Amino acid sequence: MRFKDKSVIITGGGGKIAKAYAIAFANEGAKLCLPDIASADQIVKTVKDMGGTAISMACDVSNENSVKAMVSETVKQFGTVDILINNAAYFMSVWKGPFWEMTVEEFDKAMAVNVRGSWLCAKAVAPHMQKQKSGKIINISSNVALTGNPNYIHYVTSKGALIAMTRAMAKELGDWNICVNTVTPGFVVTEGRQVDPEYEKIRAQQRSVKRTQVENDLVGTVLFLSSSESDFMTGQLLNVDGGFHFVG
Amino acid sequence: MRFDGKSVIITGGGGKIGKAYAMGFAKEGAKVALPDIASADHVVKAIQDMGGTAISMACDVSNEKSVKAMVDNVAKQFGSVDVLVNNAAYFMTVKKSVFWEMEVDEFDKAMAVNVRGSWLCAKAAFPYMKQQSKGKIINISSGTALNGGQNYIHYVTSKGALIAMTRAMAREVGDYGICVNTVSPGFVVTEGRQVDPAFNANRVGNRAIKRVQVENDLVGTVMFLASPESDFMTGQLLNVDGGAHFVG
Repeated sequence: MRFKDKSVIITGGGGKIAKAYAIAFANEGAKLCLPDIASADQIVKTVKDMGGTAISMACDVSNENSVKAMVSETVKQFGTVDILINNAAYFMSVWKGPFWEMTVEEFDKAMAVNVRGSWLCAKAVAPHMQKQKSGKIINISSNVALTGNPNYIHYVTSKGALIAMTRAMAKELGDWNICVNTVTPGFVVTEGRQVDPEYEKIRAQQRSVKRTQVENDLVGTVLFLSSSESDFMTGQLLNVDGGFHFVG
Repeated sequence: MRFDGKSVIITGGGGKIGKAYAMGFAKEGAKVALPDIASADHVVKAIQDMGGTAISMACDVSNEKSVKAMVDNVAKQFGSVDVLVNNAAYFMTVKKSVFWEMEVDEFDKAMAVNVRGSWLCAKAAFPYMKQQSKGKIINISSGTALNGGQNYIHYVTSKGALIAMTRAMAREVGDYGICVNTVSPGFVVTEGRQVDPAFNANRVGNRAIKRVQVENDLVGTVMFLASPESDFMTGQLLNVDGGAHFVG
């Protein structure tokens, strides 16, 4: 039980990848807060059914008041915040097209949710982590920032921004033993997701480990970065994509 | 017990960092082999005293026959090879100088031990890992490859070579369920090591986490990469230096 009674916030907690994180943390004794702009109630139920502790609430991570309220509620119920997983993202419903046809509104939305949202959540939890002189913040980026995937420049750019933001945050929070790291997942075919089988085959072939990436492939790395095993690792980018991209 | 009954080779197993890895694995139930060109008997004894299983043998990792004999001996005694930590390095006794004054023999020695040695150990362990369609190879590089440490160009270059070698190896062995990753530690002040306090203060000041790095700071990351938690991570570089360098 590596996370016994630890207070863990997973933003975008209602999604399929978040569910994989949540169940793994719950299995190791953590108390979970799963804020989402949509509902995370079904995951809360799953965690409770297995005897764990979880709460959810509506939260728009791009809005400071909404984020503050969410973090306050978590602290009220769980006593503090030990771990923040900045997992919420504007992704599934993004507009796709070449960047010269993208509207400012669309661009700004990706930056507001993915970048400002992650910063606001870190900003809101920082005082609690500083008080206890420990904490872990994990920003979920994407390997599209490494590849430069076409046709959603706003999403790609926002995920690249998180890599740089992680580094500056790590430097600013190091004196309080708070570690900030980034994970870049490859393309995850979440349960039930429909993908072009031909395209997925090509993607798998480009990897060292030639298979489809699933939610659970990310869980071990996120838990490692949340655990005391990684206490001297901060500001780093951990790429989990079956050996498609190599960074550095 | 995450490594119950697993066969783990840690080259350079008689050194202080090798010892920290060995103790970490032994505590989690692994059978540990500690080849070293010097003696690793004291580490074997420490593990046996705590009820664990460990063996050591003389091995020159730069010599193919010596490596093959070592790996075959480990497989014979422990049944297989599940994890290889390429930790042996020509480092403590390197002759320091600017590169334009370095002798060819000195340069070649670093490449022979650090690069050829890691390749030879991987080459010898591969058939055993292939047979079980599973394995973890961890190449220990160094933060000096990221910052271009001065006055030992051979050491720095050899550690950079390992980063590239890891990536090619990862692609070549992915089909066999074998993951290959690199860890780049910062400057570790091992137990009893004398360092210039002024230089050390400067080094610490450059980190996000402003303290001296010790052996145990590396153990969690090496064990993570040796565990099933990182099964979809391969070819990657994990930098553990308290946030002095950020890669990518």
